[in-house]
Amino acid sequence: MRKNAAEAGFDCTFVPLCLDGRNLHLSLEQARGTRSDGRYLTQMDSAAVILPTDGRPPIVINDRGEGNAWTEARPAMQGQRGSWAPAMAEALLELGFEGARIGVSGLRRGRVTHTRAIEGVINHSSYVEVVRRLPNATFEDATDVVGFVRYIKSDEEIAALRRGAAIAAAGIEAMVAGARPGVPLPELYAQVMERMLELGSEYYPLALYAGPMGGVRPRFEDPPIDRVLGPDYLITNETDAVWGQLIAQELQPILLGPIPDTWKPVIELQRDMFYAGMEFMKPGVTFGELIDFTNDMGRQRGMLSLILIHGRGHGNDGPLLTPQHRREEHIRSVVVQKGNVWVWKPIAYSADESIEFSWGGCVLVTDRGGEQLVDRRPGLVSIQ
Amino acid sequence: MTPGPKQQRLGGANVPVWDGYSLAERDRRWNAVRAGAAQRGFDCIFVPLGNGTDARYLTQLRCSAMALPTDGRPPIVIADRGSRNAWVPEPRLTGRDWAELMAQALLDLGMERARIGVAGLLGGTVSHVRAIDGVVVHTAYDHVLHRLPNATFEDATDVVGMVRYVKSDEEIESLKKATAIAEAGVDELVKQARPGLDAAVLYARVMGRLLRLGSEYYPLALHVDDIDATETVRYTNPPAGRVLQPNTLISSEVSAVWGIQVAQEDQPVLLGRVPDAWKPVIELQREVFQAGLEKMTPGTTMGELIDFVNGFGAGRGLRTAILMHGRGGGDDGPLLTPRVSGQRVRSLRIERGNAWVWKPTASSADGRISFTWGGDVLVTERGGEPLFKRSHGMVEAIGG
Repeated sequence: MRKNAAEAGFDCTFVPLCLDGRNLHLSLEQARGTRSDGRYLTQMDSAAVILPTDGRPPIVINDRGEGNAWTEARPAMQGQRGSWAPAMAEALLELGFEGARIGVSGLRRGRVTHTRAIEGVINHSSYVEVVRRLPNATFEDATDVVGFVRYIKSDEEIAALRRGAAIAAAGIEAMVAGARPGVPLPELYAQVMERMLELGSEYYPLALYAGPMGGVRPRFEDPPIDRVLGPDYLITNETDAVWGQLIAQELQPILLGPIPDTWKPVIELQRDMFYAGMEFMKPGVTFGELIDFTNDMGRQRGMLSLILIHGRGHGNDGPLLTPQHRREEHIRSVVVQKGNVWVWKPIAYSADESIEFSWGGCVLVTDRGGEQLVDRRPGLVSIQ
Repeated sequence: MTPGPKQQRLGGANVPVWDGYSLAERDRRWNAVRAGAAQRGFDCIFVPLGNGTDARYLTQLRCSAMALPTDGRPPIVIADRGSRNAWVPEPRLTGRDWAELMAQALLDLGMERARIGVAGLLGGTVSHVRAIDGVVVHTAYDHVLHRLPNATFEDATDVVGMVRYVKSDEEIESLKKATAIAEAGVDELVKQARPGLDAAVLYARVMGRLLRLGSEYYPLALHVDDIDATETVRYTNPPAGRVLQPNTLISSEVSAVWGIQVAQEDQPVLLGRVPDAWKPVIELQREVFQAGLEKMTPGTTMGELIDFVNGFGAGRGLRTAILMHGRGGGDDGPLLTPRVSGQRVRSLRIERGNAWVWKPTASSADGRISFTWGGDVLVTERGGEPLFKRSHGMVEAIGG
């Protein structure tokens, strides 16, 4: 991070107090991601960090001033609850940054972090007070300074994501075991969450879509009250598990009935997209190339296809490419690198778009391309 | 041309959330906020991006921002993911950009030179009580300030907060249901807790019970330490790798959410017999719990309640301390804990319809034994009325 800051000409990188995910809740990922930079740098749930570029140790501030094995911490306010602004401003002054060029992480969306928070994640009142206390310093967005460090996972992080993916896969197994017509959806929701929690995952809400095939399936992020599974229901999901603070995600569509013939070529296309994309995502490939490769695959078979991918990590990781983010020109030049991890779940559509199918899970980029973190096979699970 | 399908959703899939309050409840809230704003001389109340709790209170939407004119005109609401409901059938929809839409809403309401009250800019007296620096997103809010250079923006957290402070009948019904769910979670905890059990499994079973009953997610908080431990760890996620032992004391905050009301029940469970040295402390806590209920009648100030509770144990050579915080949509006050002295709320008056988790602490004279028990309480004309049914005391989970 110091190296990135030096290249960007920052004297330090500043991660200020950020909002909590309950109040800033644009999405599950964004909510988890609001305080992700502080967590990434300190392993603390909520921390402000000032990291000098010149190699000096950082100053870390948290609510109670409780340190951990990584670092000491200063309390935001002695004993009582109070504003974080004085402690953050004094730390910057103490480090000699009264006239410095300060890079601020989380001020805006980055290319590979805080991707859903276009207007950033920083708490206003404390931040403006810090800026006021350092009138001769300049403050500029440095989200990518931290982001591009988070973008490449270490061996320890990969091991944590692998375990998270295994827990998520166990959650999916519980869903397959429990999904039957007549089962109340809160019961199914609870069974899956319970399975992942007993395996030690932090709580990360299961996102569940369930409804008749061909109908509208709203997305539930809490137990779907008063809803019961019916025959021919299609259940899609984002099953996330958190281990080592890193969020894994696996997806498994489940159909309570036989798979219609019209779906089979779409499912087959999606499977081929999944594997072809894995081969394609080698280090050095740009996201623009991966986008075009994926989006063109369907056309070759008289169907349609669309990239769906987003980074894995501490929350709100990128690149983010979803059906509503297909015009993300600012990430076309981002290069795939060894050690990237994302959830890879491209979408296949029938020609008339009446059938849509996505399947996927966590994928690690190696020299040979993408590698699944947990051994699962693409397809639609049919329960009859 | 962008390749791929023609259909493109705005801001992702719609995420339904509980939105069952009546239109009368909506109007009650909006009109009460307008009245509070008028008293403070604000032309409107602005709930910006970041203040999700107040926004949900005023819209029932999952994520929104709002500008509510004081003069009675309808508000402009901004929401994402195509969300709308009976309260706000036609919000202005956004993808992920909020700043300009918020500024434009204020301009469209004629607020370019107005005195604008901002909810959530700072922590309040009875809302956002743990967020001293408020809950407003800097970059989006800064854009609004620049687009309305002639308007004045001031903190108005208490304008919304003091409305949230007094619960309506509909809110009380929801809180009662949330309390019942939390009590079911406590029952599950008591049923499962035994030596040898993985604490993560205990955590999972309790959360599973709450979810089955339809609670929105709210983290279960657990302490699982030996009864004689001097330092304890609070877990808000499964305590991976911890196994319950004989004489483990499980302290819990079992929370459940129904109708956007967060209930909390606190039930200590001991995997063994209660030591004799604990019994007078537990008895004192029972008495201070009950006496506090009687004391919290409408009109009493928080200062009076604080002094009453904190002085209650002195006559017996033991100690008592107030521990309570408001119930509602989240981060409700007043907040009175060992870390918060309560100076800020001493003059605040208790009102009928207040609801809080009431869990005063009793301790031995040397502080080595400390006991907290409690749950959700509603203030009526007669004082505090527990919304839960559990009997007081430490649960002994002997097993076998």
